[in-house]
Amino acid sequence: MSRYRLLAASLAIALSFNAYAAATEHIEFWTMSLKPKFVPYFDDLVKRYQAQHPGVEIEWVDFPADLIQTKLVTRIVAGSPPALVNLNVPWADEYARDGLIVPIDSLLGDGKSSYVKAALDDLTFSGKTYGFPLYSNVTVIAYNTQLFKQAGLTRPPQSLDEQLAYSVQIFEKTGKAGFSPSLAKADGFMLQQGLPILTDGKAAFNSPQHVALIEKLAKAYKAGGILKDSLFAEDNFPAAIAAYNGGRLAMLSAPPTAVKRIQSDASDIYAITDIAPAPLGPTGIVDGGWLIHFAVPAGVNPKLMPEVAKFARFITDDENQLAFAKLANVFPTTIAAANDPYFQHLPPNAGASEKAVAIGAESMKRSRTLYVAGIEDYDELRRALVNAVEAGVTGKRDPKAALDAAVVIWNKKLAKQAH
Amino acid sequence: MKRALGHSWQAYLFLAPALILFAVFSFWPVGYGSYLAFTDYSLIKPAHWVGLDNFRYIFDNAMFVAGLKNSLLFLLIVPAIQVGAMALAVLVNNNLPGIRLFRAAFYVPVVTAISVVGIMWGFMFHEQGMLNYVLMQLRLVNQPVGWLSDDAIALFSVMFVTIWRGLGWYMVMYLAALQSVPAEMQEAAILDGANRWQRFWKITVPMLMPTIMVCTIMSVLAALKAYQEVLVLTQGGPLNATFTALYYAYDQGLKHLKLPRGLAASFVVSLCCIAIMLPCLRYFRPKHR
Repeated sequence: MSRYRLLAASLAIALSFNAYAAATEHIEFWTMSLKPKFVPYFDDLVKRYQAQHPGVEIEWVDFPADLIQTKLVTRIVAGSPPALVNLNVPWADEYARDGLIVPIDSLLGDGKSSYVKAALDDLTFSGKTYGFPLYSNVTVIAYNTQLFKQAGLTRPPQSLDEQLAYSVQIFEKTGKAGFSPSLAKADGFMLQQGLPILTDGKAAFNSPQHVALIEKLAKAYKAGGILKDSLFAEDNFPAAIAAYNGGRLAMLSAPPTAVKRIQSDASDIYAITDIAPAPLGPTGIVDGGWLIHFAVPAGVNPKLMPEVAKFARFITDDENQLAFAKLANVFPTTIAAANDPYFQHLPPNAGASEKAVAIGAESMKRSRTLYVAGIEDYDELRRALVNAVEAGVTGKRDPKAALDAAVVIWNKKLAKQAH
Repeated sequence: MKRALGHSWQAYLFLAPALILFAVFSFWPVGYGSYLAFTDYSLIKPAHWVGLDNFRYIFDNAMFVAGLKNSLLFLLIVPAIQVGAMALAVLVNNNLPGIRLFRAAFYVPVVTAISVVGIMWGFMFHEQGMLNYVLMQLRLVNQPVGWLSDDAIALFSVMFVTIWRGLGWYMVMYLAALQSVPAEMQEAAILDGANRWQRFWKITVPMLMPTIMVCTIMSVLAALKAYQEVLVLTQGGPLNATFTALYYAYDQGLKHLKLPRGLAASFVVSLCCIAIMLPCLRYFRPKHR
């Protein structure tokens, strides 16, 4: 008799376990470079969601930015992708073209109206939306007031021309570089200055205006106004902030998050730092708009999609975006959170960090992710453009000749793609 | 005959574990990777044979062509590293006080992590770094040299780091070979009136020939496959001046996930390795068996 009881009990346990397993929906989401600083925030977020949604199990995984793409593609190929993954806009554009992420219009539902339109526009490729906006960033200028004073400057620059002239003046008076533009993103730099990269499907960055821009940069470079450290590296930010923190750079064009870093890494420099809005180009667009969002990879179980949509909307809703933005010194991408008083009013006795947030919030309205969408092998073409800019700026080649050569490379490639 | 067959089966049986490991981790990846270089494989789509398309693409690409030239230029390190390593080995082969410390010191770069090498030499080569500081203090240069930012110099700076990293390894190989040269031969030559220089050229160098061959081949392969130093120091810049063929393969295959192009570049590098190694093997082949 006892043997039957044991068998029945085992069966009951197995069945109940099976029922539990069937009821549990597992959602894995990936973020980019947010550990360890944001562990308490995400742990709390996961706990809250699981408490509100019994039967749903959330797993948070964080990868460094340089690893996340390889990990993601590997998991998609293996047929076990995460339900949501943090991407930036250029990656999302490329992945959408390759079919590695799926449109989320049906998952957005009514929630679509809660996001800032510019953010959704950045994530719309061929008429379809490919991500839940999470946060965005915008460039402000952190400047060293002491170096400004020594150079006889009384106010921050208001245009690129002024910024270049200031840089040369700073170098002449102090021996320190003025600023470090992000020239590896030469395409965004030109677009922000109202200079097109493509016209009628052909490369158009060798016009007299483009050449004039390179010549201006070359002049400042030659005069010592521009920081040479990693100037054309894919990411010159580490070199630029290291130079600023070391007192070797007068102006740092960076998001408000960087100002927090100055505060923690170089308190003496932070004490003499003031903040100004980044100069608007003729387009009225602020450089450095960098939207991070959650995309849904191809191959996610369709049955899981409703729960994925719920969780994605939860993690990017007003309340959570606001909390994260305050914590990380970034900007929310929902309308209500972006209009929160925190981003609108500068507290009395505000330091450079708070000032950066307030000034950045104002600039956010004019911020976009500047790049050229929809081109196969875009990174390779961009490298040809950056090489041309590097040759022109450093005086290795005549700017016009360098840009002409890059245009030939682009048009050859674009013509092949058109066929 | 039967007995010989039995013996050879036993030999294969003992070789099997190593052969299986080789097959799984070397032969199969090399074979399959070579096949994929002729396809449009993209991780998410099945591979289709595209013939030489990927090879046409990479040879049409200025970066790969520049990279291949730079990889061949990298071969300049081979004589430098061999002569340097042999000279160091001869020096540390003496019984001087504290010689072990020198041996260890020369070997340290070999075991230093590449990321540390990158940071350290990045500081040294910086325009306001130690190297320029010393040169300017000695009034050997008037203004800072762009060791990594001047496209005419950058590749040589990277090559120098490769030499610095490899010197200790080859020094140890030569040291081991030097210590196996029989003392009786040297003593006999001394009795015959040979001077130090004659003993080195007539006894030591011929005895070192097998080691010279191994070290030369290894350093040729290391030169053609150079990419780690590029990755940590310059990422191919300035103006593609330090792009090597294998760095292009890494850039395309692993960074931009264009695997067939990366594999095609690796395939070309492999062919270059074989083409350069065959004459080396022929030259160093023992004349008397």
